[in-house]
Amino acid sequence: MKKILGIFGLLVVVFVFTAMNSENFLSAYNMQNTFRWIGLFGVIGVGVAMVIITGGIDLSIGSVIGLVGSLLALFLAKGYSPWVMVPALLVGSAGIGLFHGLLITKVRLQPFVVTLCSLLFLRGIGRYATADQSVGFGQGFDILGTLAHGSIPLGGFSLPVPFISMLIVALIAGFLLQFTIYGRYLFALGRNEEAARYSGINTDRVTIGAYVFCSLCAGFSGIVFALDLNTVQPAGMGEFYELYAIAAAVLGGCSLRGGEGSIIGVVIGTAVIIVLKNAINILNLPSQLEFAIIGAVLLAGVIVDELVKRMVARKRAEVAG
Amino acid sequence: MLRSFERASSRTVIFGAAIMSAVGMTLTGCGGSDGGTGGDTDTAPAATDGAESSVKLHTVPEGESIDLAYVTNGIDPFWTIAAAGVKAAANDLEVNAEVLMPPKGVVDQKRMMENALARGIDGMAISPIDAANQVAFINQAAKVTNVITQDSDAPDANRLCFIGMDNYKAGREAGKLIKEVIPDGGKVMIFVGRLEQLNAQQRRQGVIDELIDAPMQDGNNLNVSPPSTPIKGDKYEIISTLTDNFDYAKAKSNAEDAMSANPDLACMVGLFAYNIPNCLQAVEGAGKLNQIKMVSFDEADDTLAAIAAGTVHGTVSQQPFEYGYQSIRILKGLAQGDASVLPEGGTLEVPVVLVRKENVEEFTAKLAELKALGA
Amino acid sequence: MTDVSSAAPLLQVTQLSKQFPGVRALDGVSLSLYPGEVLAVIGENGAGKSTLMKILAGIQPPDAGEVRLDGKVVSIDSIQAASKLGISLIHQELNLADNLDIGSNIFLGREPHRWGVVDRRAVDRASKELLEQVGLDYSPRTLVRNLSVGQQQMVEIAKALSVQSRVLIMDEPTSSLSQRETDNLYRVIHSLRDAGVSIIYISHRLGEVTDLADRVVVLRDGHNAGDLAKSAINHDNMVKLMVGRDFSEVRAYTPRPLGEEVLSVTGLVTAMHPKHPVSFSVRAGEIVGIGGLVGAGRTELLQALFGVVPPLAGTIAVAQEDTSITCPIDAIDAGIALVPEDRKQHGLILEMAVRENCSLASVKRDQNRGLLNREEERCICQEMVEKLHIKTPSDQQIAQVLSGGNQQKVVLGKWLAMKPRILLLDEPTRGIDVGAKREIYQLMEELAESGVAIIFVSSEMEEILHLPDRALIFHEGQLAGELAHGELTEEAVMHLATGTVVAA
Repeated sequence: MKKILGIFGLLVVVFVFTAMNSENFLSAYNMQNTFRWIGLFGVIGVGVAMVIITGGIDLSIGSVIGLVGSLLALFLAKGYSPWVMVPALLVGSAGIGLFHGLLITKVRLQPFVVTLCSLLFLRGIGRYATADQSVGFGQGFDILGTLAHGSIPLGGFSLPVPFISMLIVALIAGFLLQFTIYGRYLFALGRNEEAARYSGINTDRVTIGAYVFCSLCAGFSGIVFALDLNTVQPAGMGEFYELYAIAAAVLGGCSLRGGEGSIIGVVIGTAVIIVLKNAINILNLPSQLEFAIIGAVLLAGVIVDELVKRMVARKRAEVAG
Repeated sequence: MLRSFERASSRTVIFGAAIMSAVGMTLTGCGGSDGGTGGDTDTAPAATDGAESSVKLHTVPEGESIDLAYVTNGIDPFWTIAAAGVKAAANDLEVNAEVLMPPKGVVDQKRMMENALARGIDGMAISPIDAANQVAFINQAAKVTNVITQDSDAPDANRLCFIGMDNYKAGREAGKLIKEVIPDGGKVMIFVGRLEQLNAQQRRQGVIDELIDAPMQDGNNLNVSPPSTPIKGDKYEIISTLTDNFDYAKAKSNAEDAMSANPDLACMVGLFAYNIPNCLQAVEGAGKLNQIKMVSFDEADDTLAAIAAGTVHGTVSQQPFEYGYQSIRILKGLAQGDASVLPEGGTLEVPVVLVRKENVEEFTAKLAELKALGA
Repeated sequence: MTDVSSAAPLLQVTQLSKQFPGVRALDGVSLSLYPGEVLAVIGENGAGKSTLMKILAGIQPPDAGEVRLDGKVVSIDSIQAASKLGISLIHQELNLADNLDIGSNIFLGREPHRWGVVDRRAVDRASKELLEQVGLDYSPRTLVRNLSVGQQQMVEIAKALSVQSRVLIMDEPTSSLSQRETDNLYRVIHSLRDAGVSIIYISHRLGEVTDLADRVVVLRDGHNAGDLAKSAINHDNMVKLMVGRDFSEVRAYTPRPLGEEVLSVTGLVTAMHPKHPVSFSVRAGEIVGIGGLVGAGRTELLQALFGVVPPLAGTIAVAQEDTSITCPIDAIDAGIALVPEDRKQHGLILEMAVRENCSLASVKRDQNRGLLNREEERCICQEMVEKLHIKTPSDQQIAQVLSGGNQQKVVLGKWLAMKPRILLLDEPTRGIDVGAKREIYQLMEELAESGVAIIFVSSEMEEILHLPDRALIFHEGQLAGELAHGELTEEAVMHLATGTVVAA
């Protein structure tokens, strides 16, 4: 919980600062948009957090989003039923995760290498399948579109469906991590894979599970992103999103060394990134500075976090001594 | 001004005649020339003045097949239409023409051109991504084959001619469309993929200058207004220019943020083909269709559909089909040693078409027909 | 050899203390080292030898006490400072970059250079001299990777000599050396001593200490237990000081009633020693000790039984039933548990709480549709903390801060919660203090009495001699012999372990 406090503080600071400098920031419309984007990006953050907890990494998220989005648009435009395509694409995404997991555990390849290759491979496949053309959905996918455009009214504010989807995914992940044996094993193997194996944990299966979950999240996200934008550009869709997801996870307390992390932290981490992006536009700061501002704030966040952690450790050592 | 050249294919004549073509201008898709300052550039370089005999042409012996290459500056629907023009011309004129679309910037473009030169080709039309810095390479290519530029010029290089027009003037046309749709003025927001590209700067400055009634500038030598300080004219205020680096999700979120920050926003302008379709998604989500006016560039399907539906006021369409078609026509002539195909002054102006509700149906049908030619 | 009594001490350590969380590693330890002497520092595991050496080498700072060099108080706050003072430590685990050559290793970080470019000729020249001194006939350009462990050690010594070390600390230098390499090491140590270098020699092997040392300092539980002058150095004296009492007095062996045969191993072949199939069997309630030198294949045998590194061939029968063990899960299902040699790497998840470590293996058994049962988990942990006397402020404390003994108890607790039929222990008392050791011995006996079959590997002669009902002694992968409790003597064990006749 202490770890989340820092990032939550950062969120509050950015939030209050923006609200004080722009009356429009807190408007229902802007808040709804902000929540929708948090929902869209939060799902992949939660997904990659599971992989990061195993001590691994998934760089292929953006390409999975691009591929799934492209294929969804392509097949729906050809007249396939969304009730077939959506489940098929989710199964396909899980398959990609399974493939990563098998290569990492059974063939003992490094996660960085495996998913980097996937990043390139899947992007190429997506572009080839669509001949690199932007693909639009056209009209008539209203029910499916609810996933992206829908919202649930709460007084003057409507909670966007993507945010709710993200909450559901986060709850599932949080539940897995905190209340199931699987979650316990995930943390254990992230900390010390050998000791976990010596304790009779099927570490391969646990690791593969994390990669499947991550790719599944990416695939789901690809579907929702595509529906939200209504057109898909195969070469660019989702590019670099894995970096946002990883940044959110790390900001939310996941250690790239593995064995550490909390889902609520990842959600807050995503919120920080999205609110920052929003604030830059709302406050009419030069949009060219966007990356610089996000990078600087995130760096400041992790530095403060690390310093606080060290202070706590020193206190603890003093108490122990 | 109407087209001043002869059409090689009678099948395409209807197009230009049916549509009012305004001032001559060019535009690119989203990946236009990244010319930096543009430098001191006349549209008619001395080296290729007219079709004089001093021009050294690389010719193909009679009876041998003519292989040509058409190099774009990226991958975009705009270039797909241009590719259709290339294909149609190749069929009509019985030459081999290959379209090369570099996916990732100047390095890919150079690599693809090198590969084409290595295979041995009889002519090349390119849209240089970074004209100022590609001069040496273009000159090298010009030593072994006929090189022309299209869409974006490289006036300092030894290209034989340029096909295309000034994006600054296209921007001014878009500004006129805005004036039509919000005659009483209001807040305007500009959306674009990347501002560092010359064509983006030209289009944007054209829009701004038209809205604040500034005098015409030289498109290749622009004074550019700062992107994030509001620019106020008598009636119109350009709040800001938002970039998205070709990320559609970012493009949409930019539009949303613009509406959040400016509840009284009157008009959105999308400088690249995909900008207005993404703005449309955002505006529709906000329930502000018809309330916020929109003006676009290029001929994305969603944009044309929205013009027909009345939610987008109009778009400035350059005729990419013509870029492809005319490039092949000229390159074929050059390969046969016929310098007379070179346009006067070294520049072949392809006029823009303004598409509004009244001509959108016709335009869309024609576009489909042209695309089918390239299929 | 210098006349010790008349010279002033080169290095004088007074009242050095060092506290780690949960354990007092050093408590007022003093020693003197004279020029040109070989001083052996001995003591059981956990007696404080390693901590003392780390302080002298600048790896850890002391909490209290002072170190004098040539009579002047010095502060050794870093490895660099130690090296500047002429103190070098040669680690048990060698610290060479095996991808570089000998010369580069010797001068790593101190390369002679000209205008920023390494002066390779100077490196080679200087290295050659040093290599001659340590009797290593190799070109300085030879990759360290291609040297044997003993040769690598010589490179380490050469490296120490290259900084003009006056004090050379050697931590268990012979633990992985062959006999010939050990002989060469003796020779080098003698010639260094004759050249005036003082050597602190840490070893478990009392025979070596008798051969080499001019004087012995014995540590026990972080205290000075006594000194032995050259004339008083013999096995019995050393053991007496180290243990503080006669080992067998502490726990008299009483024969236990043995049950059915629970484990039968036939023709087991491990990857490390593929030429030597091993067969043996163990009965319920029996404690079997596995002895032998490092590298005899003992750990590999346990790992094969537990499925960590599956055996290449052979059968394992648990309670008369053939059991295929290809991974730890199979072994656990068959009722086998392993307390591994490397507690921190394989036994515990250091950053996790005591409670979570305790339940890590058993949590699956109590599963309720994959959900954690935290109440059950707490109960198991509580039971183990009480049963094993685990000293921890709370079961939420992370395992890392516990003392070695308590960490080992947590590992044991993890397995006892599974109620294993066969318990494998690999060096169960390594690095833990005497009190905890005694508790672990007692626990092993209690478990055996309750019918658990126990197989343990130990490098400590005392444990092999006194604990088991039966000992299996390995020599280079081969089961060299089996000794019943009554036949267990140090001579008999060494005879089998070395594969030679050992002089008494």
